[in-house]
Amino acid sequence: MASSQPGTVASGLSRLRSALPFTSRDWGLLLVAPGVILFSSFMLYPIFYLFYISLTDATFAGSVIGGGAELIGLANYVQLIGDPQFRTSMGTTWLFVAVSLVVKVFLAVGIALLLNHVRVAGKRYMRAAVIVPLGFPGIFTITVWRGMFSDARYGVFNTILGRYNDVMASLSAPQALLFDVPIGFLSGRWEAFFAYVTTEVWLAYPFMVIIIVSALQDVPRSLHEAAMVDGAGALQRFRTVTLPAIKGPVLFASILTAATSFQQFLIPWVFNQGGPSRQNELIIVYGYREAITFNQFGLSAAILIVGIAFVGLFMYVAVRFGGLAEGVGDE
Amino acid sequence: MSAIRSFASLVAAKLVALATAPKRLVVTVQRAVYDVRTGKRTPWDVTKSVLMTLFGLAMVLVLLFPLFWITTASLAEGTRLFNTSGIFPDPTTYNLDAYRWVIFESDFFFVDGDWGYPQLVVGGGGGLVSFRWAGTETGPGAVFNSLYIVSVTLAAGFGMIVPAAYAFSRRRFVGRKRILYGYVLFTQIGAGLSIATLVALYSLFSTYGLTNNLFILGLFYAASAIPFNTWLLKTYMDNIPVSYEEAAMVDGASFLDTIREVIIPLTKPGLAVVLIFVWLAGWNEFIIAQTLLRPENYPLSVELYNIATEGRFSTPWTRFAAFANLFALPVAIVYLAAQRSVEDGLSFGGMEG
Repeated sequence: MASSQPGTVASGLSRLRSALPFTSRDWGLLLVAPGVILFSSFMLYPIFYLFYISLTDATFAGSVIGGGAELIGLANYVQLIGDPQFRTSMGTTWLFVAVSLVVKVFLAVGIALLLNHVRVAGKRYMRAAVIVPLGFPGIFTITVWRGMFSDARYGVFNTILGRYNDVMASLSAPQALLFDVPIGFLSGRWEAFFAYVTTEVWLAYPFMVIIIVSALQDVPRSLHEAAMVDGAGALQRFRTVTLPAIKGPVLFASILTAATSFQQFLIPWVFNQGGPSRQNELIIVYGYREAITFNQFGLSAAILIVGIAFVGLFMYVAVRFGGLAEGVGDE
Repeated sequence: MSAIRSFASLVAAKLVALATAPKRLVVTVQRAVYDVRTGKRTPWDVTKSVLMTLFGLAMVLVLLFPLFWITTASLAEGTRLFNTSGIFPDPTTYNLDAYRWVIFESDFFFVDGDWGYPQLVVGGGGGLVSFRWAGTETGPGAVFNSLYIVSVTLAAGFGMIVPAAYAFSRRRFVGRKRILYGYVLFTQIGAGLSIATLVALYSLFSTYGLTNNLFILGLFYAASAIPFNTWLLKTYMDNIPVSYEEAAMVDGASFLDTIREVIIPLTKPGLAVVLIFVWLAGWNEFIIAQTLLRPENYPLSVELYNIATEGRFSTPWTRFAAFANLFALPVAIVYLAAQRSVEDGLSFGGMEG
């Protein structure tokens, strides 16, 4: 009996061990767990809670906390489908993502090529300088851009356009080439949209430039020289040597920055709160305003859930087909 | 301590490189002239290089124009910024009044800029001799709130990101693939997601009584930084050959030795990038901070936003610029010093393959 006791314990332990879903080999999980727990409690849990709020008729924070809200099923989502404001916001958001992405890609590829060119002296310093915007707080740079896009006659861009007009007029250029200053950059719909895109591109290009430059530096010079010997022109070399090398990184950077653009909040909020007359409310601004300004917590939650779902879907497709998670699998 | 010393030497090296840049430029020009004289290069070839370089310089100037503009603006307290004379303020009126306002009147360092002074107390409660901050009736300002938040974010973030990145890179365990997949999905949803969930966050934080708590806010920022940075560091570690660790093991190194002697030194550029990004996550965010905190706990970012939006059309630009420059300067300096690491760390190693 005395000898059988440890045996039962041991067999019990081994039975327990085999019942557990992991083995001692899996201790790596312990290193990962704290991060997962923290992330889940501050990020995932609120999403589920947000989804719950979206199913209620909550109007302000107190009605959620105090339990005054009632479950009304999918009524908020039904209301959204018929809401023209929702369609405007969604359309503007997608347009914003698409336009800024295209501009961003061309600008970043251009900068990266130029600052990696053999003929440019001091490119290391220039590269250090152009990625500086990434190091500044968004609230700072975005407010500065708002100041430059000022509607005032003597705002920065209006002054520059005025100078340009003077020069063109002195060259007696046709009227069509002149600008009608002052331009109300923040008070017209498309003017404001233009201002958003410019700022977004400026905020996001450093990240792309860094990634493209490091891809360009991995292209051996001998490849270019071989192409030159074969008589390939600059354009052809770009197509056959450079493009294949940067295609992957550009796609990768595009996916990441597009997802960020989709959730852009600060630019419209700081510029003119998504105005004029709610025409430029990107999706997050729209949801935020419904909650803060109009006390429609339930509806706001539904909007934001739809927004999160879109980004989630976008990221899922990107990860699935864009090869974003190549390093995930066990090689 | 050694970290501070290596950082200082890094900065010093940067400064030396910058100071000798004109000399190198002269050498380049001299060599070009020599090449043309001896017929090694045609004048047209040199002209092309000069034009390309000038084009690059012009591009850099255009891209950095906003920062240049706001810096000149910060020097022009007391003058009207938007006027008929042009975009830039008159250099003869440059002054540092705006910076003085930030340091001695705003809430940047101490509430209302009321600095006070340290005082040595002999005897008294604590011990024989103790320090005490005296002469101020208002208390510490926004920078201390910001630093407190960032310390929590950095401690929690690093404590969770570095081990997790190592485990993802080197260990095989249950659920590894699934968790990593989830992280990749959430990489780019950091800041935007926190604003999206703000409605729920506010309700939850109020329910659990966690509002107006700087510690919790720091943890929250760490949580928002985890997916992207863990993934970043993991891809960085993947590029370190496992054979290095195996070789160290063969030489009798213990598991912890390999971490200390192989992994950490070789991951330094990656760690530098993660440090900057996690720092930025805690230092820059303001929407959540503004919603969850009460005015006495506002960090610098919220104070900056408040200055920017004091009046709908009348941002006090010079003060805003001075405040913002002091707010952004530490980060910008670290960022520039570690720029090489940022480029290396962000290259995502195997992305091109």
